[in-house]
Amino acid sequence: MNQKLAMVIDSSKCIDCKGCMAACKQANGVSRGAWRNWIKEAVPPFVNGPGGSKKLGHGHFQPGACMHCDEPSCVQACPTGATYKNALDGTVVIDPKLCIGCGNCIKACPYGARFRDPQKRIADKCDYCPERRAAGLAPACVDTCPTKARVFGDINDPNSEAAKLLAANQGKVVRVVAKNRDTKPNMYYIASTAPDGWAVQPVDPLSFDFLAGVVAPVVKWAVGLSSLGVLAMLGRQLFAGAGPHDHGGKPADERPTGDKKEDGHA
Amino acid sequence: MSDSDTSQISRRDFMRLAGAAATTVAASAMTAVAAPEAKAAPAATAPNWESKFSVCDMCFNRCGLIARVEKGVITKLDPNPKFTKSRGMLCARGNAGVAQVYDPDRLKTPMLRVGKRGEGKWKSISWDEALELAASKMKDIAAKHTRCGMLFSAGADMQSGFVNRFAEVFGSFNVTSHESLCLLSGNRAFVDTFGDVPLPDVRNSKYVILAGANRLEALVTPDSMDLVTIMKEGAKVVVLDPRYTKSAALASEWHAIRPGTDMAFMLALAHVIITEKLYDAKYIDERVSGLDKLAAHVAELTPAWAEEQTGIPAADIARIARELAAAAPASMVYPGRRTSDYENSTQIRRSFAIVNALLGNYDRPGGLVPARPAGLKKVPAEPPWYDDNPPGRVDAGSVPLLFDEEGSFVLTRDAVIKGAPYPIKGWFVYKTNPMATAPERQKTREMIDKLDFMMVVDITMSDTAWMADLVLPAPSAMERTDPVQALQSGAEGACLVWRDAVIPPLYESRPVFDILKALAGKLGLGEFFDFDIPAYRLKQLAAFPEAAEILKRDGVFYPPNPPLGGTDGQPFKTPSQKIELYCSRYEGMGLDPLPVYAPPKASPDAARKFRLVAGRSACVTQGSSTNNPLLSEFEPENTLWLNDEAAKELGVKQGDVVLVESPVGKGELKALVTPKIRKDTVYMLSGFGSISGGLSHTKGVGASIVELMETRFDSICGNSAIHETFLSVKKKGAA
Repeated sequence: MNQKLAMVIDSSKCIDCKGCMAACKQANGVSRGAWRNWIKEAVPPFVNGPGGSKKLGHGHFQPGACMHCDEPSCVQACPTGATYKNALDGTVVIDPKLCIGCGNCIKACPYGARFRDPQKRIADKCDYCPERRAAGLAPACVDTCPTKARVFGDINDPNSEAAKLLAANQGKVVRVVAKNRDTKPNMYYIASTAPDGWAVQPVDPLSFDFLAGVVAPVVKWAVGLSSLGVLAMLGRQLFAGAGPHDHGGKPADERPTGDKKEDGHA
Repeated sequence: MSDSDTSQISRRDFMRLAGAAATTVAASAMTAVAAPEAKAAPAATAPNWESKFSVCDMCFNRCGLIARVEKGVITKLDPNPKFTKSRGMLCARGNAGVAQVYDPDRLKTPMLRVGKRGEGKWKSISWDEALELAASKMKDIAAKHTRCGMLFSAGADMQSGFVNRFAEVFGSFNVTSHESLCLLSGNRAFVDTFGDVPLPDVRNSKYVILAGANRLEALVTPDSMDLVTIMKEGAKVVVLDPRYTKSAALASEWHAIRPGTDMAFMLALAHVIITEKLYDAKYIDERVSGLDKLAAHVAELTPAWAEEQTGIPAADIARIARELAAAAPASMVYPGRRTSDYENSTQIRRSFAIVNALLGNYDRPGGLVPARPAGLKKVPAEPPWYDDNPPGRVDAGSVPLLFDEEGSFVLTRDAVIKGAPYPIKGWFVYKTNPMATAPERQKTREMIDKLDFMMVVDITMSDTAWMADLVLPAPSAMERTDPVQALQSGAEGACLVWRDAVIPPLYESRPVFDILKALAGKLGLGEFFDFDIPAYRLKQLAAFPEAAEILKRDGVFYPPNPPLGGTDGQPFKTPSQKIELYCSRYEGMGLDPLPVYAPPKASPDAARKFRLVAGRSACVTQGSSTNNPLLSEFEPENTLWLNDEAAKELGVKQGDVVLVESPVGKGELKALVTPKIRKDTVYMLSGFGSISGGLSHTKGVGASIVELMETRFDSICGNSAIHETFLSVKKKGAA
């Protein structure tokens, strides 16, 4: 059976020390000003304080990164096939040789996980540190985490730490998704500290909204020379992006499954 | 949260995830509903790196690490999983250790000042010239002003012990460290109560009060991680802090205590524990002295009284006292580390020590435990006797209970400025940065102006180096072979680490040991440095013949760790041989033998209504890290935390530049308008507003906290008191 690499996060353990962000940046040579991962602060609630006053209540911090979704909107948005799902381990991969830096995938990601590398001018994001994994090490962010809030592993392997953590928290695990668009992320949060407020509506290059957004300025500026480049890019996206993509999709668990041989193995 | 949602994993999903009926991506791709194409990515190849053990140097914790070295270049620092004291972690600063090694701001050659002091005009000189100059200046100062005319200051570093050794054999009593700007008040208080400085065993604790310790940001291993672990296991952590720190956010409960009133809180806890007889009477009888006197002292200091002082409801104080006592002895008032807060900080920390004593938690799991024997041998020097030297340190006698080996930086500075009781005209500084860490930078500058010769050994041109006559480039920790150091923690006991160089020293940098050895040779003191570091280490490890091999294999050595409770039945190292609630030594010296509460002084000037408090981010180790190219991305500048209601009254909006002023200095920085701080308090990070032209990321960026802080000190031990300054705040451009 193929792997399904995932991260299971107990954000109640995150102290927002930025160790994961520094480790990632160093391990992957990410440019100054850009980040492959993050820790966000949940907006803390106000609770009753002394003498009828209000004070800040319990807060928490939310580590995140590319969620290596099962139905990744970024893969669908990529006009060149540079972004794809790795069949061997489930990670969403960027082939730097194919990426043209168009930025579609960046807008298509509901989680803000992608950015255009300011130096290389192509899309970049978390790749779960494949070189480190090849060396038998955990991804840099996981290895360095002081409180081990980030747990990484193959959740198709019931003996992995990540799978065990999921099993131990059955019924208490959530995923962060954009409203109306569940990309089936492979980042799982122990629910008591469910992240809030990050996912945004993905912008799909084939959606009406997106076309309206691009076409209107195109019409507006059609007389200008600069529009030629825009049109060329749009044409390229439409050509390369159309065809086999279908962004409807049923929930993963309603699909017939081709692999049941693990049944019964704990 | 308009576009965001969280989706509960269905049971079906869950079974699939757990591997009971796996849905692979490949399988779903074959179905009628088209899913994104998947293909096999080319296999990644493991990096071709060498892995070498070392020890982090980005703060004082000394976490074990593994350096990954590719073609002679360090590409990554990873945690050493065998180094359990850090719970197998490396924080952001540790990861930024690579950026420190390859920082373009590093010093590359010896530099001689050629312009006016602080003007920033330098000439690169050879090592021979530099060492000859340093030796001749030291000789001159010794001849003219006695050997105590040289002051030596070394920061926390695995080679700092050699600076102390050099000072000793050179013949100067005048040695200061960073400690008198940081932790001495706490040490004083615990030594005078318990006879030693016990360590918190957080890992086994059921109830921890963090007062004036922001342990989830000011990381101390393993305490920081253990706090999170024990809370997951059901322990309670109560945070008292005028700021909503990350510790406050994650704690079981947080109380925005009025700054400077912690002692009132502690005395009220003692009141409840004593009046309700919540202590272990047998334990107190056998091991503790002074309960009757303490009982009388706190008889009227009720939770209701403490509420008026602290702003924390009496009912909460009483409840916390009962909960703390119920969890005893696996409960504690966390002793904290930086205790340089108020002029009575020793007495404040005495009140912390007293509550711990009442909990009977000494040498008990989950309580405060004695440092365990590390078994490291000292390599002593028999220093020569210099007849003409004065009787003691220049700051001796300025406060009743100075730590003789640490002194007090601010009192030493005063003595240098006054030239009394005797002149100090030379200063050797190694990897500490008083221009960025000692209150009232202008005064440090004034002190430096009194000197005939000042030399600094450091990695970069710190603000202190910027003021020197001679600056010598040190290698980073990753380029050094270092002696063995014993590390202690309450939960883990002792462990031993050393460093072997991961890469050779960059540029012309030389370790301070080599510099001192060369100077010793030139000054006729060569016999005291007639060894190299590997030989020195073997002497240190004489008790453990196996340790060297294990250090090479694992990067850490654990000496035998005796179980807790070993001090039971043993006398405490106090005059009464018991834990002293009532400090008999203080009585004899005319000090308050029990901590007497006085409300914190109000601002003497109505225009300066905000008390300045200091603190830490997990990405900042004061001025030693703020200029780090990677860490500066997390903390590019410091901001003034200003309460949102206070900001409204001042007409200050988020991000506005504000002018802050104290009686000794001014600053300009952006306001962070936030409900996360009390209305009477402001906060900013240290390590910004630098003056050194050698610091690309911090020179003139933000405000310097030490430009604003007034010089105050602990009246018992001379530790700096850095929460005694009030600031005025106004929007830049406002009338």
